[in-house]
Amino acid sequence: SLCVVYSGALKRNLSSEQVRADFIALGLSEEKASYFAEQWKVNSPTLTRLAVGQTLMINQLIDMEWKFGVTAGSSELEKVGSIFLQLKLVIKKGSQLENVYVGELTV
Amino acid sequence: MAALREAEFAALQSLLKAPSRDAVRQLCQECFSSPPAALGPLAQRACPGLAAGPEEAEQLVSALHNLTRHVVYRGLTRAEDILSLFPENFHQNLKNLLTKIILENISAWRNEAQASQISLPQLVDMDWRVDIKTSSDSIIRMAVPTCLLQLKIQEDAALCGNNPVVSALTVELSKETLDTMLEGLGRIRDQLSAVANK
Repeated sequence: SLCVVYSGALKRNLSSEQVRADFIALGLSEEKASYFAEQWKVNSPTLTRLAVGQTLMINQLIDMEWKFGVTAGSSELEKVGSIFLQLKLVIKKGSQLENVYVGELTV
Repeated sequence: MAALREAEFAALQSLLKAPSRDAVRQLCQECFSSPPAALGPLAQRACPGLAAGPEEAEQLVSALHNLTRHVVYRGLTRAEDILSLFPENFHQNLKNLLTKIILENISAWRNEAQASQISLPQLVDMDWRVDIKTSSDSIIRMAVPTCLLQLKIQEDAALCGNNPVVSALTVELSKETLDTMLEGLGRIRDQLSAVANK
């Protein structure tokens, strides 16, 4: 039941005063209500940040890796000397990670 | 490495029967641009007046293809370098004409070769949107900015020919992710500028 009070407080962005009042309304002594409200005050920023972090994100970009280099030659041209850039984007689709590769960049 | 074999140079001499210099020019361009697999049909179409039979036509077209591709591959840009590819007993006027045609087309052909080389998918467009998330199942009231980025990616242009396959990828980034990504891209830009300025 402690969790229920705290998660409700988190959901509704309650202040520590409101949390204290809730605990008293539920039958807790003033001293204990104040103690729990104080704990809430200390920990709510972290808990809020975690809850926001759990908010739905579609195709979240997890990571980006890159490399660039020079194309030395190809089957059509013995000497090329052009610059290329390759990007690898790691994307979270549902519960899986997907890699998307993008290449080439002309300067 | 020799540009062509002796028999191929011999096949080129069929060009002496061409009706005009422009006809030779046109054939050179078609032979360069044609992939090896399409040389057969090209031979049938382009050489009725030039060759005694289909075999001779195919040899001519193949020889022209190999000669033009060789010059582009090696990156030859001077007349002397191209002239020296031909054997000593090759017809002088034809040799000069072919060299002149090749020099006229060399930079367009080089661009064509570069455009048709294999490549990874390319980024062709990027659109974005910034949203503010106001609530969710975990928190009823919030104001969290988020960015949606849509990347349009085109598959290997050389593979697709005239029908490019473009796929759209929409990703969502938090402010922190966006900042990290911009920092990374900034570093890439600095390095590219350093390389380009050398």
